[in-house]
Amino acid sequence: MAVQEIVGLAPSGSMGSGYNLEAFERGLAANPHFIGQDAGSTDMGPYYHGTGAPFLPLATYRHDLSYMLRAARKLKIPLLIGSAMTSGANENLAAMVRMVTDLAREDAMSFRMAIISAELDKTDLKRRLAREPFESLGPAGALTPETIDRCGPVCAQMGVEPFIRALDAGAEVIIAGRACDDAIFAALPILKGFDKGLSLHCGKILECAGLSAIPYDLAEPLLGRVRRDHFEVEPCHPKHRCTTVSVAGHSLYERGDPCLQPGPGGMNDLTAATFTQLDERRVKVTGSRFVPDKIYRIKLEGAEQLGFRSIVMVGIRDPIMIRQIDTILQEARERAEERFAGKGEFHLLYRIYGKNAVMGDLEPDTHLQSHEIGLMIDVVAPTQELATGIAMFTRGTLQHASYPGIVTTAGNMAYPFSPFGIPVGPAHRFAVYHLMPLKDPCEIFPMTLEEVKN
Amino acid sequence: MAAPQRLDALAKVIRSKNAGPFEITFDIMFDDAAKYERVKASGVINAARIAEAYRIRVDDVLVCRPYDAAVAFKITIRRPVGSGDIEDRDVYGCQQHVPLTRIEIPGGR
Repeated sequence: MAVQEIVGLAPSGSMGSGYNLEAFERGLAANPHFIGQDAGSTDMGPYYHGTGAPFLPLATYRHDLSYMLRAARKLKIPLLIGSAMTSGANENLAAMVRMVTDLAREDAMSFRMAIISAELDKTDLKRRLAREPFESLGPAGALTPETIDRCGPVCAQMGVEPFIRALDAGAEVIIAGRACDDAIFAALPILKGFDKGLSLHCGKILECAGLSAIPYDLAEPLLGRVRRDHFEVEPCHPKHRCTTVSVAGHSLYERGDPCLQPGPGGMNDLTAATFTQLDERRVKVTGSRFVPDKIYRIKLEGAEQLGFRSIVMVGIRDPIMIRQIDTILQEARERAEERFAGKGEFHLLYRIYGKNAVMGDLEPDTHLQSHEIGLMIDVVAPTQELATGIAMFTRGTLQHASYPGIVTTAGNMAYPFSPFGIPVGPAHRFAVYHLMPLKDPCEIFPMTLEEVKN
Repeated sequence: MAAPQRLDALAKVIRSKNAGPFEITFDIMFDDAAKYERVKASGVINAARIAEAYRIRVDDVLVCRPYDAAVAFKITIRRPVGSGDIEDRDVYGCQQHVPLTRIEIPGGR
């Protein structure tokens, strides 16, 4: 008899942030066919892609991994993890693989593991770039070999195909580098012959787990059931609810267009999607439709280093100074530019909390009304030492700056703690965010199979 | 005619978030279909009005449309600065919603 449904369980929307283990147990009781977990994103900004550093301490990933790995082995169902960890580059992928093998040893678990890399060889990447330019999804100007060299690891976001290949090879644990979030959850349903549009849409809902239920909670596990002509989603927490609005609303989340959602090899078209409330906690979705592209393209991600950042954070309470803050800051900027002229190009940004630090030019309330302001002196310069030097020089200038009407001549700024100057580390920007054509959806995602025996 | 109302008096959720590092996307969601229909019928949520609220070019409003299935509006703008770039101020892009809350919706019947 043909399989009637594929049930996927998503422990949490973000690996390492923890999840409700009691609800997870309830999810396991529903006999899922697989457990899927997203472990990365560009959301936290370019630093993690540029350096390849994971977003959270390894121990937090290990904690989350331990429960899902043991559960998957107990039920003998595949565990699929994508974008391990954060950027999904090789170093992080290897770190997660080590965690998996350590946990397997501790619990005497044996299984076949597939490791799928998503980091590109830069020589190969430049060769491909030389053949045809890549379409930019944001960075200005054409992508050049020099930009690629300035970047940390460059990864591609894999689609469902590398996961399907791993499942086909009998992998019981799949640890993948950078991957589309929905692909992690869509692979098994698609492999079993279910509709690609429905499978990807269900994956899109599952990847953030409880964020598409009420109350919104990333740490609440979610179940998805893909069937022939629809899928269903249900939170594992007995008191949480999926509603048509929460599920349809999540279809919008983090996506530019509500209906047309591009991914590797095509567009998932939700124009005709319908959302039906089945009972208090379950929603049924139909009508999502995958439209393949003529050319299969995948998205590349990479961040180039711009220099090093150092900051100083202070508070200003004096109303006379606050009224003149822009002029005072400008004078200090000019002093810094004069003092450090010829030392290398640097960038000094004042982040004025209480004025426009959050929205910058988009801020509609341009009139300063706070009784106190927070000031971050933010410097990016070619070396860490120079960045700290400029930030501290600017701080010193401001600390004793004189201005019309000054009454507080012993110092202008309150320091929340000592030390004052904080070396933040390398500063990056996303420089690779481009579409690259592929002949074979798996050609840049090499897989290795490992028999873990304990 | 009812009095004009601010969008935040009618919508349940008004949120912003990155859609990738180079776009910010806004979701305006309702828990009352009548309120959604009133906002939709007013025609006030359009690219020109969004550009005005953020003082950006209309061309930088990439998407602005209602989505009936979610009882919601979807708006996406080009980020003035890429997420986490030197001049960026909101890496997640999740605190850029306030200008939308103040959009005045004309009174309905």
